[in-house]
Amino acid sequence: MIEEVIMRQDIPLDDFLTIFVSSALVMVFGGFYVGIYTAVKVNLLKKWTMPLAYMFWMLTAYCLYLMGSLMHVGEFTAKALVVAAIGLLLLPHAVYFMQHRVHEENEH
Amino acid sequence: MASNHLTGIGSESKQLATWYFTFAAIIFGAQLLFGLVAAIQYVMPGFLFELLDFSVARMLHINALVVWMVFAMFGSVYWLLPDETGIETIGIKIGKLLYWVFVAAIVVVILVYLFIQVGPADETSIWFIHEGREYIEAPRWADFGIVVVALGFVANLWLTGFKGKNSGIVTVLMADMIAFAGLYLAGMFFTDNITVDQYWWWWVIHLWVEATWEVFVGAIAAYGLITMIGAHRKVVEMWLWIEVAMLFGSGILGIGHHYFWIGTPEYWWEIGALFSALEPLPLVAMFIHVLYDWGKTQGAQDATGQEVSVINNKPAFTWFVLNAFGNFLGAGIWGFFHTLPQVNLYTHGTQFTSAHGHLAFFGAYATILIGMMYIAVQGTNGIKIMKNTRASLWAVSLIVGGVMGMTIALTIAGYVQVLVSRAQMGATWAGYFDGQSGMWFAQAMDWRLFMGAITFLGFLFLVKDLLSTGKNPVHER
Repeated sequence: MIEEVIMRQDIPLDDFLTIFVSSALVMVFGGFYVGIYTAVKVNLLKKWTMPLAYMFWMLTAYCLYLMGSLMHVGEFTAKALVVAAIGLLLLPHAVYFMQHRVHEENEH
Repeated sequence: MASNHLTGIGSESKQLATWYFTFAAIIFGAQLLFGLVAAIQYVMPGFLFELLDFSVARMLHINALVVWMVFAMFGSVYWLLPDETGIETIGIKIGKLLYWVFVAAIVVVILVYLFIQVGPADETSIWFIHEGREYIEAPRWADFGIVVVALGFVANLWLTGFKGKNSGIVTVLMADMIAFAGLYLAGMFFTDNITVDQYWWWWVIHLWVEATWEVFVGAIAAYGLITMIGAHRKVVEMWLWIEVAMLFGSGILGIGHHYFWIGTPEYWWEIGALFSALEPLPLVAMFIHVLYDWGKTQGAQDATGQEVSVINNKPAFTWFVLNAFGNFLGAGIWGFFHTLPQVNLYTHGTQFTSAHGHLAFFGAYATILIGMMYIAVQGTNGIKIMKNTRASLWAVSLIVGGVMGMTIALTIAGYVQVLVSRAQMGATWAGYFDGQSGMWFAQAMDWRLFMGAITFLGFLFLVKDLLSTGKNPVHER
C-alpha cells in the first residue's frame, strides 16, 4: 500500500527574516504587556500606563498572526496560536487575582 | 517558617552543599575551556588536530555543562534542606560517600574522553568509552553509578522531607527529583533502531530540561525570594504551584516538537506545535514572579518611610533577576524563534539551535545556580548583608556580555545557514558546505570565539570573587 505523501508549502526566502523578527517580537511585546500590567498592579507604574500594556498585547497578537501566516501553519496550529494569545492575555489577570487574594488573607 | 540560611556554619548538609558547589565550579571552568577549544577549531580547523579533535572537545563541552549543573542542583538542595525542614539532612554520611563516588566517576569519565576518546564501536565502547548520546554520553558503567548517586540523593531528600517540617518548596522538590532521577533510565537502554533510540533519548533531554529542571528552577527561585528579600512564603509558594502546573502542562507534551524529526506519526506536528506555543507562558509567569515579589516586598519596606533595600545578598539577587530575564530570553524568545515545526524544518541542526542552547542553558540554569553559590558563600561566612564587589560586577558583566555576544553571533550564523543550506540549497550535502563557507558565517564564528574568551575571563573573575568575597570587609556582618 502506498501511503499518502504530505507536501508542505515552502517558505519564500524573503519571508524568513520577517518570521524570525515577528516571532521574537511576540515574546518581546508579550513581555512588555505582562511587565507593565504587573508593574501597574504593584504601584511601580502609574495607572494611566495600563492601556499601554493592552496595546502591547495587541501587537503580540498581530505578530503571532503575521508569523503564523508567513509560516503557512495548518488549521490546528492556527487555533493553537489563538489559544496561546488568549492565554497570554488572561494569564496576568488570573495570577494577579490570586496574588491579591493571598496578600489580603495574609495582610501582606 | 523562618529561614536560617545565614547560619550555615555547622550544618553538615550545608557543608556537603559547598563541596557540590566547589566541584560544580571546577567543571563549569572545564566546560568553558573545552568550549573555547571547539570555538577555536571552527576558526582554525587544524588546532590540536589528532590530539583533541572537535568531536571530543564538543563532547566534553556539553557533557561538562550537564554535569556541573547537576552537581550545583544537588548542592542547592542540600543547602536549602535544613532551612526548609528545620532539621539536619537524614543520611548525610551516605550523602558524603556518594559525593565522592560521583566525583570519582566524573573524573574517570573525563580522563577516558581525553585520553582514550574513541572505542572499537562494539559493546566495549558503550560500556567503557561513551554511548554516543549527545548530552548524556557517559559510558554504561558510569550510568549505573549516576543512578545509584541520584537514588541516594533522592532518598536523603525524601527521608528529610518526611521527618522535618514540610514546606511547599520541599514537596515540589521531592516530586521533581523523583522525575529527574527516574527519567535518566530512559536513556540507558540501547536499541539498534536509531529512531527508537532517539525517541527515548528525547525523554531524558527534553523532559529533563523543559520539565524537571525548569520546575527545579521555580523551587529555587521561591527559596531565593524568601531568603534574600523576605518575600511572603504563602505568596511565593502559590506562585510555585502555578508554575509547576504550567511547566508540566506545557513541557511534557511540548516534547512533540522533537518527535516530528524521527519519523513519528504526523499528529506530533500538531501536538508539538500546540504545546510549544504554550511553553513560553510559564516562563512569563516566572518572570512576573520575581518582579512582583520584589516590587511588593520593597513597596512594603518603603511604606515604613525608610528607604532601605530589602535585598540581603546583592550578587545572588543579581543572578536570580538575570535568571528571570535569561529564562525568558533564552528559553522563551530564542526557543520560540524556531520551535514551531513549520520553521523548525529549516532551522533544526543549524547554529540557531546552538544560539538557543547557549542562551537558554545560561539564562535558565547557570544564572540561578551561580546565585545559589553566592547564597552558600554568604551562609558559610556568616554575612548579614552581602554587597557587590568589583570582582562580582566584572564577573556578571563579562559573563552576561560574553554569552549574549555568542548568542547573537550564532544567531547570525544560523540565519545564513537557514537561507543558504536549507532554503536555497534544499538541505543538500553541497548546501551544508556552502552555508558554512559564506563571509557572514565565518565572521560570526570569529565573533563567537571572541565572545567566548570574554565569557571565560568573566568566569575567572567569578572564581576570584567566590573564593575571596567571604572575607571582604565591605559586607555587613
